[in-house]
Parts: sequence; C-alpha cells; structure tokens
Amino acid sequence: MKRTGDSTMYKIISESEDKNKIKIINIDKNDLVEFMEDYKGKGYYLSSITGVDMKDHLEVIYHIHNYDTHEYIEVKISTTDDKVPSLTKLWKAAEWDEREQYDLMGVIFEGHENLRRIVLPDEWVGHPLRKSYDLKKVQYISMDPEGKEHVSYNENEGW
Amino acid sequence: MKNGDLGIKTTTIEKALEWGSANSLWPLTMGLACCAIEMMATQAADLDIARFGSEIFRNSPRQSDLMIVAGTTTKRMAPRVKRVYEEMPYPKYVIAMGVCVIQGGPYVDGYSVVMGVDKVVPVDVYVPGCPPSPQALTYGIITLQKKIKHETDR
Ligand code: SF4
Repeated sequence: MKRTGDSTMYKIISESEDKNKIKIINIDKNDLVEFMEDYKGKGYYLSSITGVDMKDHLEVIYHIHNYDTHEYIEVKISTTDDKVPSLTKLWKAAEWDEREQYDLMGVIFEGHENLRRIVLPDEWVGHPLRKSYDLKKVQYISMDPEGKEHVSYNENEGW
Repeated sequence: MKNGDLGIKTTTIEKALEWGSANSLWPLTMGLACCAIEMMATQAADLDIARFGSEIFRNSPRQSDLMIVAGTTTKRMAPRVKRVYEEMPYPKYVIAMGVCVIQGGPYVDGYSVVMGVDKVVPVDVYVPGCPPSPQALTYGIITLQKKIKHETDR
C-alpha cells in the first residue's frame, strides 16, 4: 500500500524553478499516474494540459494548482512514441484537455475512453501543431445539408 | 429630391425605400473573435450607433438586415456564417470588420482561417484594423448608408 507523501512510488528526475518562481518537476511518464494520485491527495487540481513538439520527442506538460496554498506546479513528462497514460480516472476535467492535445499535437493518451478530435472535424488529416505538419497542403471544410462536415484538399469544395 | 415652392417634396418610391432602409439598419450579432468587443463598444451607450440610424443588435438573422462579421472566420465557422447570411431577409448587407475577416490578418499563414470572408458571403464595406476602433466601425456604417442611398464620398 502506498501512503500519501510516500515518494518511493515515483521518482522525480529533476526539479527546478522558472523565472516566475513556478516549480517545474520532471518525471518519467510511467510514474505519472502515481505522482498525480499523490498530488491530488495533497489538494491539487488539474488546471490544463499542454504539449511541445521537440522534433525527436514530445513533451506533455500538466499544470496543477492548489486552491488552499495557491501553489502552481508544472509537471513535465516526455515521450518518444507519442503515448502517455491518461488521467481521466483521476480528474474528469482531463477528458477534454487530453482530446485537445490529441487533436492538435497527436499525443495518444492510453486509457482515455473517447479519444476523438475536439476542435477540428473528424476527417481532418494530420495534427497541425506538429513540426512535421505540412502547411502547404491546405485543407478545406464544407458542410452538407445534414450538418455533417467534410474535409477536402480541393479549394472549390469548401472554405 | 426636388423642393417645390408649395412646401411639397417629390421623390421616387425607390428613393424613399432606400432612405428608410439606410436609416434603420438592424445589425446581427456575428461576433466571432476579439473584434466583437469593439462591436459591442460601438453599440453601447458611450458611442451608441443608434444615433446614426442603426438600431439595436438582433440575435436572430430573420430580424436583421446587416451582418457585421466581427472576428476571425475559421474554416469550421464559414459554412455557418453562410447559413446565417442565407437566413437573413432581403435587402441585406455585410460589413467585414477587422483584418482577419478581410484577408486572414495575423493568421494569414494559419491552417484554420478563411482568407477573407468575401469568399463566403458578398461584402459591402470593409473596415480595416486589428481591431478597428468603434469610431472606424461607425464610419463604416455611415459609408454603408451612403452606399445604400447611392451617394458617394467623392
Ligand atoms: S482583426 Fe485583430 S482584433 Fe479583429 S478578430 Fe482579428 S485578431 Fe482579433
């Protein structure tokens, strides 16, 4: 059994502070769920999830916030195969944040039950915030009378 | 219009209708992004476009005849803008407010923005700026009124 505050269950790779005195904690992605369980027990809430494409790997950053102490922590993990564990079991709020990161960055959250696109239409090809996304291949969106959206590469078939 | 000696004005029915529709434009709230804040300021008590014959903003396209497209038109929003435009009764006019709506603006290299709302609906008056000041939008509405009445600035 793991107790709250028991740091043997997860390993902190490095800890630092940015220029605004916000704590940055780097952990391994396999320790993420245990780390977050521990911090949820300490009164932290998930504020948002962001991602950075470093070309050879992806960085996923979890911003957690404590309402009592007003402490704000950035938790960073990195992944080379685009896969990270999902936090939807811990926080319902993670569901849409993870869908957004999947949609725009192509991060695959393992354990997410409904990992679909959230801002782009389902037919969209590629993840536009990736460095490898080709902006020259413009995609156009149109809508049929039933309200279903279609994506095409042809300029005349949409806007 | 001609002024008679008997205190009677003669005009054509077209001119009278133009005069009427130019002075009672009912704009539609089509605020899509940050420009909408300036559109709200234009309508609010401080700068009050009702002084220029543009009435309160309506939330239904069926009750309005001027669509002020205020804010970035994304590709997903474009079919909806078109549909709302088609629901408006004739005569209807469009003002494109902000550089985003005119040609893409800061998002001209983006993947998600329509490069000009004139690809989607016909535009009567363009108001440039990022965002245009409320005074600029008021000027745009006055320009549109002149256009409706077939007057020109020159
Ligand atoms: S023109 Fe500027 S202020 Fe207006 S919607 Fe675009 S970015 Fe926002």
